Amino acid sequence: MAEREDLPRQACARFEEDLILYHYQELSDATRHGIETHLEGCAACRLSLEELRSLLPKTIVADDPPAAFWQSYSNDIHERLSVSGNTTGWREVLLSLFRSWPVPVAATAAIFALAITLTLTRGQWWPRETPPPELGEMLSVTDNLEFLKSMDFFDSIDLLEAMEGQEGPKGETSHRAL
Amino acid sequence: MDDRWLQQGEAGRILSLRHNEDPTRAMITSRPAEFGDDELVALAQQGQRQAFESLVERYKHKAYRIAFDFTRDREEAKDLSQEAFLNAFRHLGSFDRRAKFYTWFYRILVNLCIDYRRRKTRIRMESLDERTEQGKGTDGIADPAPSADQQAISRQMSERIGAALAALPAKQRTTFLLKNHEGLSIREIAEVMKAAEGTVKSHLHRAVTALKQRLAELT
Repeated sequence: MAEREDLPRQACARFEEDLILYHYQELSDATRHGIETHLEGCAACRLSLEELRSLLPKTIVADDPPAAFWQSYSNDIHERLSVSGNTTGWREVLLSLFRSWPVPVAATAAIFALAITLTLTRGQWWPRETPPPELGEMLSVTDNLEFLKSMDFFDSIDLLEAMEGQEGPKGETSHRAL
Repeated sequence: MDDRWLQQGEAGRILSLRHNEDPTRAMITSRPAEFGDDELVALAQQGQRQAFESLVERYKHKAYRIAFDFTRDREEAKDLSQEAFLNAFRHLGSFDRRAKFYTWFYRILVNLCIDYRRRKTRIRMESLDERTEQGKGTDGIADPAPSADQQAISRQMSERIGAALAALPAKQRTTFLLKNHEGLSIREIAEVMKAAEGTVKSHLHRAVTALKQRLAELT
C-alpha cells in the first residue's frame, strides 16, 4: 500500500501498451522477457500491472441463465431454423458468387461506369426536360445485398459514431471521441 | 465420414437404419463432438440442418454471452444471438470456409450487437430531445428513478462497469469484449473485425486506458 501511495499511477509511456498485452499473454517471447526485466526495476509499471490484474476481471459481469432458459433457447432456435428452411434461394446463390474483396471493387467500378455513362450520354437517353434518375434510386438495387452490407458495418462505424456524436442532444458533450 | 460411420458401431448403425435415418444425420445427433466446425459447416451447406443445429449448440453460450455484454439484457441477448444464428444459416452459402466459422459468425453477431446499440442510443436521444422540447427533460440522462435494488453495491458496480463499457467507441468496446470477456487472441479479433493486428492492439490499449480512468476506484 505504501508503494501505491508514493508512486505515480502512470506506467512508463513506452511500456503502457505492452503491459496490457503482457497481461493478456499476447507478447512474443523476446518482448515478454524485455517487459519482465523492466518490471524488476520499475515500481510504477509493477503497480500499473497490478491494477490491470485487479480491474479487468471485475469488468466481466457474469450472467448465468437457468437450465430452462437454455432449453427454451434450443427449442426456439430449432423452430426458427425450421421456418427459415434450408433451401438455397436465388438470392443466396447470387450472393455466394460474391466474395469479400471483389464486392467493393466491383461496386466501385460499377458506380464509376454508371456515373461516366450518365455524364456522357446525358440528353440522349432521357429528354432534356426530364431529369435523369437519381443515383440513389439506381443504387437501391443493392438493397438485396443487405447481408453483405451488414457484414461491412465495422467499416463505417467510426463515421456513424462521429455523426451521432454531432447529432446528440443540446448540452450533451459527446463522449464518443474517436 | 465413412470411417466414422464404420466406427459408430453395429448397434448405432442398426438403430439408425431401423429408424430409417440418414446415417450422417444420426451420427451428428448422437455424437456431434466428433465433428469439427468445418465438417459441420460443409454438411450444413449440403442441406443438413442438423449439422447447423450442432453448431448452434456448440456456440450458443458464447454467442449469448457476447450479446449480453452488449445489451446487459437477457431477452435482448437471446434474441440477438438467435438472430445472428439465423443470419448465418440463411447466408451459409456465402461462407467460403477460408476463415474459421466462429470468426465469421462472431462478425455477424457483433455487427448485429453494434447496430442494436446504435438504434437504442438513437431512440434514447430522440426521446430525450422530445422531452427537452416539451420542457420535461429535467431529470437528466434517461435513467429511471433508482429502485431499492440499486442500493446494493454489486449492482452499482455492475452498472458503473456497464456504463464505462457503453461509453467506449464501438470498435474499442468490441475489441475489449472479445479479448477480455471471450479470450479471443489478437489475431482472431483481427479476423472478426477485418482489421490489422496493430489496429486491434491500439483499440485494446485505448479501451483499457479509458476503463482504467473511469473505474480507477475499483482497483
